[in-house]
Formats: sequence, C-alpha cells, structure tokens
Amino acid sequence: MQPQEHEAAAQRIENSLRKCRPDDHEITIEGAMLAGSHRLNAHLHRIGASQPGDDVLHTYLLVVNELRRLTVADPLAVPALSAIEDLRPAFVRGAQPGGQEAAQRALALLEVIRASARAR
Amino acid sequence: MQIADHMHKVSKLEQLRARLDPLSDFELWFWAAMMGGTHAVNAALHHAGVTLAVDAYATQPGVYLVRQSDGELAPAFAALGDVLHVGRPVIDAPVPPDVSRMMHAMERIEAHRDPCVRQGHPPTQQIVDTCEQALGECLALLNRRLSE
Repeated sequence: MQPQEHEAAAQRIENSLRKCRPDDHEITIEGAMLAGSHRLNAHLHRIGASQPGDDVLHTYLLVVNELRRLTVADPLAVPALSAIEDLRPAFVRGAQPGGQEAAQRALALLEVIRASARAR
Repeated sequence: MQIADHMHKVSKLEQLRARLDPLSDFELWFWAAMMGGTHAVNAALHHAGVTLAVDAYATQPGVYLVRQSDGELAPAFAALGDVLHVGRPVIDAPVPPDVSRMMHAMERIEAHRDPCVRQGHPPTQQIVDTCEQALGECLALLNRRLSE
C-alpha cells in the first residue's frame, strides 16, 4: 500500500474506534494496533525506511536487526506499536483485570505514533 | 482461558459488531468477528477436551502468560491451551467433526484478513456476507455443542 492508502485505512479505523465504548477494551486495543501499524507503515514509506509492499505487520515478527533499523528510523513510533502489541495477551486474548485502563493506554500510544509521523 | 471467559468475550464482541457498519467500519467489524470466532473455537476445543481450559493467556505458540504466586503474570512454556488463531499452532490431536467445521468456518473468515485489513483490498457486501455466514455457522455449532 502507498502511504496515503495506509493513512486512509488508519483514519477509517480511528473513526470506527469512536463507536467503541469503554468496556470494548479488546477491540480498542486491537484497533489501536491496526491503526498504529498503518500510521507507522505510512511514515516509514514516506521517509524511505521501507518500501510499499514491505510492511510491518507486527513488530514481534520482525527480525531483530530489522526491528533495530526501523527503531532508528522512528524511535518513538516503533516502541509505541510494540507496547500496544504487548497489551494483547493479557487484555485481548486473556481476562486480566484492568482492560479499560489498558485500552486507554493503547489509545495514548496510538497518539504517540500519530504525533511521531506529524513531527517529521 | 476458561470456557465461561471465552463466552463472555464472544458476547461482548457480538454486541459491538451490532453497533458497527459492516462496510464503513469493516476493519473493526471484521476483526471483532475474527476474535469472537476464535474465542468460540477455543471454547469448543476446551469443551471437547482437545485443549486445556486454564487461566493462561497466549502470547505465541507454546508460550503463555501464567499467573505467579505473587499474582503477577509472567511468560512461560505451557501445554496447549488457547490457540491464537485457527492453525496457530496446528493441533496435533483428533478434533471432533463439529469443532473441525467451526475451524473451517474460521478459515473462510481469516482468508479476508490480510487482503482487506492490511493490503487495501476494498471490502464488498459479498465478503461481508461470507464472513457473517461463516461466523454464524461457527457460533451455532458451539451453542449446539454446549447445549447438548
């Protein structure tokens, strides 16, 4: 996908997230991850750190050296996406208490990703 | 997770899906269907005794967050409890025919995940209908199993 296509997809997901309620914490975390990955890929493509078609799906699926390289390219957004992903086992797949707070953290991390793209 | 916890998640995700527009909110509508169906499959696998219903949360195949004596969660190797997705990991054990049908239904849904959510393929009403039908089949099979 081209950067503008990633951004349009992220915007759609962010619009849908506004329909979620506080107790929809599972999909809020997942939506933040999906929108965040589109925002990150758009930014990485725009700055030439990755090419369209060579997208980050999950940071934990990257080879360690590639994760390090992309973290140099965007030292705020890559760790932020990782932090959203780290919320999934306990609060999305699991039943750990504190899901609503975790969802708010995911949205705050999504804003970090958005802000990082805007700042460069 | 325990079967009751999976069922609670299914119920929440189905209520959410009802508030979303299948086309304009496709990404989250689809993702909620995929998550709900996966919880349903996990509940059925536990019910059939194929996988363990334990309070351990999947991080990657073979690794789960497990509660420690101090109440905190920590990653550890563990026997197969919840699957992340159908096929991840592959289940190396006999699966009852109705649960196998549930898993095939989920594969029909998951076939649209990367094209439509990650690669920009526009969703269509036909895709929505396919996913809705497959999830309906999956949930109906689970309800039948749990009610017998």
